[in-house]
Amino acid sequence: MASSNPETESNNGSSIAKEPEKPQIEAFRMPTMEEMRAQEVWNNCAVRSVASGVMGGGLGLMMGMFLGALDNPIMQEEMTGRQQFMYTMRQMGQRSWSSAKAFAVMGLIFSAAECVVEKARAKHDTTNTVVAGCVTGGTMSAKGDENCKKEYNVSFMGQDERIPSYVCRRPKSSLCWLCWLRSILSTDREVLGQTYLIGIESCSSFEEDQFFRKT
Amino acid sequence: MAANNPTGVDKEQAFGMAETEMEYRVELFNRLAQTCFNKCVDKRYKESELNMGENSCIDRCVSKYWQVNSMIGQLLSAGGRPPM
Repeated sequence: MASSNPETESNNGSSIAKEPEKPQIEAFRMPTMEEMRAQEVWNNCAVRSVASGVMGGGLGLMMGMFLGALDNPIMQEEMTGRQQFMYTMRQMGQRSWSSAKAFAVMGLIFSAAECVVEKARAKHDTTNTVVAGCVTGGTMSAKGDENCKKEYNVSFMGQDERIPSYVCRRPKSSLCWLCWLRSILSTDREVLGQTYLIGIESCSSFEEDQFFRKT
Repeated sequence: MAANNPTGVDKEQAFGMAETEMEYRVELFNRLAQTCFNKCVDKRYKESELNMGENSCIDRCVSKYWQVNSMIGQLLSAGGRPPM
């Protein structure tokens, strides 16, 4: 590039105006061992998931503190200012800690799943993110299954007949669908249609203490 | 070859062999880099650094290429002609 500059200057006067627009291309440097090692650090799945977990924890902390600060005590008129302050502080602490834990776990699992899937597939795609999101959602709501199972046992304990379909007694929407799916996957073939319909009907119109039973 | 100058002939022979070897190595490197780059890196460059997926793809590509190369080299060097 340095050799071509005087030629353009001497050839044509109008090309002098174009010269400042030529982008300065810097020489290519091979990465040194330190740079390569620094990049290798971020290729490690454990490091990435831990870092993502820490970031999620920080985010959860901030969010929990902010939302906890907005929480007003129940008996606001009877408390003094200092008591209200202490109450708010405790609320902020509790909420920030719990949401920090939740977000940290979520970030950890998501990042670990995405890293593992991408390394296995050896492709950079959105499929990695989708699978990682599915895994994260599944693990975060896997605990809900225990609730459903307990309710199932309590509700149908001591019954002679085998009740093929069941509905979560205290449903949140995702738990209900999870239970429905679980019942779908575990029932006999001939009652599958009824389970399907009953499950859909109940999960889409759930209320507290609503309880269906197939006769 | 008539041994007029044994050491000189050996030196030239060694030189020629080294040159051939060097050409072979350079050709191998160039073809390896070209093949694995075309296979692993998507042409729509979205960022300047290699992703993790591309990294693992390149690792695997180089390993396989090397294995295949050494395997074929052994096959060709053992017998006079490749076993068919």
